Amino acid sequence: MKVLVVDDFATMRKIVKNVLKQINIENVVEAENGKHALNVLNSEEIDLIISDWMMPEMTGIEFLKVCKEDDEKKKIPFIMVTAEGQKGSVMEAIKSGVDNYIVKPFTPDKLKDAIDRARTRAGK
Amino acid sequence: MPLIELGLGQENEPLGGEMEVKYINPFINAAQTVFKTMLNIDAKMGKPILKNEKTTSGDISGIMGLAGDRKGTICISFHDKGALFVFKTLVGEECESINPEVVDSIGELTNIISGQARKEFEQTGLNLKAAIPMVVVGKNVEVNFITKIPIISLPFYFSINNGTQEIMYLDFSFE
Repeated sequence: MKVLVVDDFATMRKIVKNVLKQINIENVVEAENGKHALNVLNSEEIDLIISDWMMPEMTGIEFLKVCKEDDEKKKIPFIMVTAEGQKGSVMEAIKSGVDNYIVKPFTPDKLKDAIDRARTRAGK
Repeated sequence: MPLIELGLGQENEPLGGEMEVKYINPFINAAQTVFKTMLNIDAKMGKPILKNEKTTSGDISGIMGLAGDRKGTICISFHDKGALFVFKTLVGEECESINPEVVDSIGELTNIISGQARKEFEQTGLNLKAAIPMVVVGKNVEVNFITKIPIISLPFYFSINNGTQEIMYLDFSFE
């Protein structure tokens, strides 16, 4: 499984990669915002997207909306990561078609569970 | 002595005449939850102290303002060795000294602890918003905690690789 990790903080991308490694997912590509991530999606086959919420240039929710309006990209399971467990932001992501969301802090088990649920929801 | 010992009162009892105890628990729960989930560490809290000086407690500190139904500031502070251990555990890479990546990781940890604390506060009916964390490197850096009341300093103890004990200070002022 090839995972696209989208976050403007390089260190946070490394943290997510480190957690993915603990659940035996090592095929990871990175992008620093939604725009960069779209370029990656246009050039590589990606099986799962894990995206941060707050990013410059194109936020996670904007990136999600673009993906879910595209016939091909909408098939890729999309997990939104947020530090805020506040209902408003989560509801907006759900309305926009997110396949799952995960609130930081998360354990490797919690991320694995979020991935499994997102893939099931996306029919993968 | 810059620090004075603090006796914790009953729930809702003003602390030092200024801060209610119920405002402390969300910060304690947030710190311990984040340590357990992100670092797989059971951080043991020491005795809370009331801090008269508005300065950072460690060598590297993540600072974040909170606003909304209440206002305040939290400051998450580590000594160098503790910060390097946190970086290694979070990122999975060794680092010999404090560098921009370690600084970023402390900023992210501050962001996550603050987010968890806001979630805990939300469950008690208080809605808070946070700013972007700022990280300062250096000892005894002056911090503007926004509030007029004293600073509560919560020390959390954890063991690093060689068995030595390190401390994360969660300093906050909240009103």
